[in-house]
Amino acid sequence: MTDTESGLKEMMLRGLAGDAGAHAQLLGALGGHLRAYFARRLGPGAAETEDLVQETLLAIHLKRDTYDPRQPFTPWAYAIGRYKLLDHFRRRGVRKAVPLEDAGVLIAAETAEEGATRRDLAQLMSELPDRQRALIEDVKINGYSIEEAAGRQSMTPGAAKVAIHRALQRLARKVRS
Amino acid sequence: MKTDELVHTLAADTTSVAPRSLTPRLLLATAAAVVVWLALLIPIYGMPATAAPHGWFWMKNTYSLVLALVGLVAVVRLARPGGRVGWIAWIALAAVAALAMMAMRETMRAAPGEVVPLWLGQTWAICPVRILVVGAPMFVAAFWLLRRMAPTRPALAGAAAGFFAGAMGAATYGLYCQESAAAFVVVWYTLGIVICAGLGAGLGRWLLRW
Repeated sequence: MTDTESGLKEMMLRGLAGDAGAHAQLLGALGGHLRAYFARRLGPGAAETEDLVQETLLAIHLKRDTYDPRQPFTPWAYAIGRYKLLDHFRRRGVRKAVPLEDAGVLIAAETAEEGATRRDLAQLMSELPDRQRALIEDVKINGYSIEEAAGRQSMTPGAAKVAIHRALQRLARKVRS
Repeated sequence: MKTDELVHTLAADTTSVAPRSLTPRLLLATAAAVVVWLALLIPIYGMPATAAPHGWFWMKNTYSLVLALVGLVAVVRLARPGGRVGWIAWIALAAVAALAMMAMRETMRAAPGEVVPLWLGQTWAICPVRILVVGAPMFVAAFWLLRRMAPTRPALAGAAAGFFAGAMGAATYGLYCQESAAAFVVVWYTLGIVICAGLGAGLGRWLLRW
């Protein structure tokens, strides 16, 4: 378990330094851990599990500047996962306690197999402004680099990065509404 | 969209990100608010020391500043996922208890007819309102900055922000307040600060979710 912590922390720090590969690896690994954690709390086969995994990954990505590198990583990620679970219950008007466990429960198990999503992020993305959507699709589906995708929209790479970031923030808000 | 695809989309948004620190921003915003208040108050009421030349002048401000410091530490802790207030809350309680003891001593020494004026002063009805008004810019600043953070206990984080803003409002207002009894301060200053904290808790529940 301490191996998992140090491995995750290492990837997090590299991601914060701008290493996209490490960041993708981190989010992939966290996805597996969050899936197992949510499945245990929501019950097996619950339809919301994958939605919550996606929402939490978005939040972890957008709020990664609130991680203090002097602290261990797992408690930070666990607190976000638990918060998203509580928020999920609250929004649905479900009164349900979520025990505050040791953060280690997050990394104690993982489930690699993705469940089906109820809410389609691609659908939500289609509601984004055209340019933002086009940028994300080019980067994600068509496999362009940010520079290439920016060129296709006649934007500077810097402006494209900002637009992608804004699009993800907007997406995170849509996911919660 | 598959989670896998989402991960790749998010990875496309990887830029080098510095850890976001709240303390310097909050202190800067608070200092700016205090300066603006002084710029408004000095032309009208004169310099603080001449406006309230009482022996107990520093008692009020030390009390408010100790509470503000506790509020600051609490806000900064609660701003991050998993953050807790911790033992620092006891310092606030100790400050209230110390001032309450001073108030008791004042009361026991006072002549029978002086006891009520000691606790109510001249301005009891307006003091908490003034603390609220003077603390309002600090309140807005703290909430503004907290929204960029990730509090996992939004109501508590909002209460801490309100507590901090109220205590800073009290510290600023205290420069001009004409009251000088510990009995007055322990009741009405504390009430003003607690009202700010309550407002913060209520608003935090809604405004600090993410």
